[in-house]
Amino acid sequence: MSGTHLYRASGLVLASEIALPGLIPIESADEPDARIAEGNVPSALDAVLATGPTWQRGAKDFLLEIPDIARFYLSGGRTIVFERAAGVADRDVAIFLAGNVFGILLHQRCNIVLHASTIVVGGKAVLFCGASGAGKSTLAAALGERGYPLLTDDQAAIRLDDAGRPTVQPDGRCLRLWERSIDALGLDDRRGEAMRAGLEKFFVDPLRSEADPIQIGAIYFLMQERPPHRAGIEPANLVEAAQLLVANAYRPMLIRRMGQREAYFRMGATIASDAGLFFLTRPFRFDAMDETIAGLERHWAEIGLADPGLISEARRPQPA
Amino acid sequence: MRPTVWLASYPKSGNTWFRIVLANLDSPDAAPADINALNGSDTIASARARFDNHLLIESGLLTFAEIDLLRPGLYRHLAADIFEDPFERESRYPVRFVKTHDAYTLTNAGEAMMGGAHAAAGAILFVRDPRDVAASLANHQSVTIDKAIGLMADPAFAFCGSVRGLEIQLRQQLLGWSAFAESWLAQADIPVHLVRYEDLHRDPVGAVRGALHFAGWRATDADIAEAVGRASIEELQRQEAKTGFGEAPPYREPGSRFFRRGKAGGWRDELTAQQVLRIERDHVAMMKRLGYEPVREQEDSDAHRQTG
Repeated sequence: MSGTHLYRASGLVLASEIALPGLIPIESADEPDARIAEGNVPSALDAVLATGPTWQRGAKDFLLEIPDIARFYLSGGRTIVFERAAGVADRDVAIFLAGNVFGILLHQRCNIVLHASTIVVGGKAVLFCGASGAGKSTLAAALGERGYPLLTDDQAAIRLDDAGRPTVQPDGRCLRLWERSIDALGLDDRRGEAMRAGLEKFFVDPLRSEADPIQIGAIYFLMQERPPHRAGIEPANLVEAAQLLVANAYRPMLIRRMGQREAYFRMGATIASDAGLFFLTRPFRFDAMDETIAGLERHWAEIGLADPGLISEARRPQPA
Repeated sequence: MRPTVWLASYPKSGNTWFRIVLANLDSPDAAPADINALNGSDTIASARARFDNHLLIESGLLTFAEIDLLRPGLYRHLAADIFEDPFERESRYPVRFVKTHDAYTLTNAGEAMMGGAHAAAGAILFVRDPRDVAASLANHQSVTIDKAIGLMADPAFAFCGSVRGLEIQLRQQLLGWSAFAESWLAQADIPVHLVRYEDLHRDPVGAVRGALHFAGWRATDADIAEAVGRASIEELQRQEAKTGFGEAPPYREPGSRFFRRGKAGGWRDELTAQQVLRIERDHVAMMKRLGYEPVREQEDSDAHRQTG
C-alpha cells in the first residue's frame, strides 16, 4: 500500500496514512495490529455508555474531539479514523495521534499502560511513573546521558512474557522535552523539531534506545521533595502498589470506569513478586539531578539490578 | 449531587486557613487535622492531571489559550460528575469545595473560563488588605516587598505561566490584586459570598458560619468553634515547624515559613511609608470598596487641607 507509514509502538505494529513524527519507523511488518486513516468521523456514537466534555465511549468504540485540531474515532482497539479541522497540518494531528490518541487505543485494547518513562539498567526495565509535569522524561533523559538506554517515554505498556514475567514494550519513540530541560541537560545539539508550531517542546534523539521488550526490574513512583516527604527511596507496600498502578495508568479515569482496575491489581501483585515498587522522592530542581541519580545507582546496586562496576562505567561523563 | 463551591482568592488571603478549618470540621477525633492531608476540599481547579485525565487530552501539547477554551467544559463535567470511586478517599462533605487562584476571566470564545452557573453553585471570595498581602506575597514568592507590590499591580502576572517548561498546574491568570476581586465581584453567573481575612480574625466563628451557610452547609456554632480552635496559628506553626507544609512554595530561604504571622494589620510595622503609598495608589478604588481605608491618601489630603 503506497503512502503507508509503519511503526512499532508499545508492542503493536501501526500502519498510518500520515507520518507520525517522534515514532521510529520500521521497514516492513506482517499484518498491522492497528491502522490510522483519515476519513469521516461520526458526530456521535450510536450507543453511548459514558460521555465527557470531549469524548464519548461505547462498548467497542470511542470518540474524542480535540477542538480546532481533529476528531478521532477509535474502533475495537484496531482502527483510528481522524477528521481534521479546517487548515490543520498533518504534523499537528500526528502529534496527538502518536501519544494521546494511541494511549486511549491501548486502554481500549485492555492493555496495562502506565504513564511512565522507562530506561534499561543491567538488562532490566526501570520505570519512572508520574503525572505530566512530574519530571519523568527529564529524569529518563538525564539517565540516558549516563548511558542508560531509553525504552519508553511517557507511555509504558506492560505485558506478561511467555514465562509469565512482566515486561515493558518499547514505545519506539524519541524523548519529548521542554526547552527548560534541554537547556539544563545540555541537549541542544540533539534537539529535533518542535512538537507543535509555537510550542517550546521538542523531540530529542536518545543516545541509545532498546527495541525489544524488557523484563521489569523496578518501578519508581516520582514524588517531589515537599513536606512531609523527604528525599529518598522507600518501598511501596502491596496495597499501595496496586492502587498506585491504577493511579499511574496513562488515563486512570478510563481504568476506573471501564472496570479494568482488577487487571491492574493483578499485575501489581505480579510485579511486586517479580520486581520492586518504590517511591522516589527527590528535590524538583535540575541542580539536584546528580544527587538523585547517585541515589538511584546506589539503590540499583542494593537491589541487585546492576553490578556497581557497570554503574560507575555508565556514570563516567561522555566525551564532549 | 453535592453542590460545587469555588474557594476563590488572590494568594495569601486566608483561603488555606479556611480549608484547614474545613478539614478540622470533619476530624474524626479531637486531634487537629494534619496540614499535609487537607481533605476537606478538592484539588485546586488548575490541577493539570485532572484536566488530562477527564478530557483525555494532553494539556502539555496545547497553548494556554487552547487549554482555557476547554476548562469551562471540564468544570461543568466535574460539577455534574456523580461517579464515586470506592477506592478513593471519598469526601463526606456535603459541599464540594474547590480552591482556585484563577481570576474570573472569559475565554477567547467569550465563555466564562470557570464554567459559569453549571460549574458551581457559588463562590466564596476571600479578600485581604493589600498592604498585608504585599508582605505575605513577598515571603511566599521569595521576592522583595517592592517586587511583590509590582506583581500585585501587574495585569499579566500569572501562576505557572512559563512557556519553556511544563508546570504541574495549568496557568492561572491573577490579573492583579484589584482586578482579581473585581473579576469575581462583577460576574453575574454565580452568587459570591465575600469573606474578609480580617473578619476571619475578628470573628472566626461568625465568618466561617456565614461562608458555610452560604454554601448550604448548616454546621453548628459549637462544631465551627471547635474546628477554629484546632486551626489556631500556634497549632499551624507547630505542625509546620515539625513536618513542614507541603503546600508552601518549595525552595525558599531557610527558616522561612508559610504560617508566618497570621495577623491582620501587620503591614503597619512591615511596610515603609513609600510602599504603603504605592499600594494605595494602585488599588485605592477596590480598597475602599472592600473596606480597607487608605491612610497615606488621607494623610496627603489632610496635609493639603492644612496647607490649603
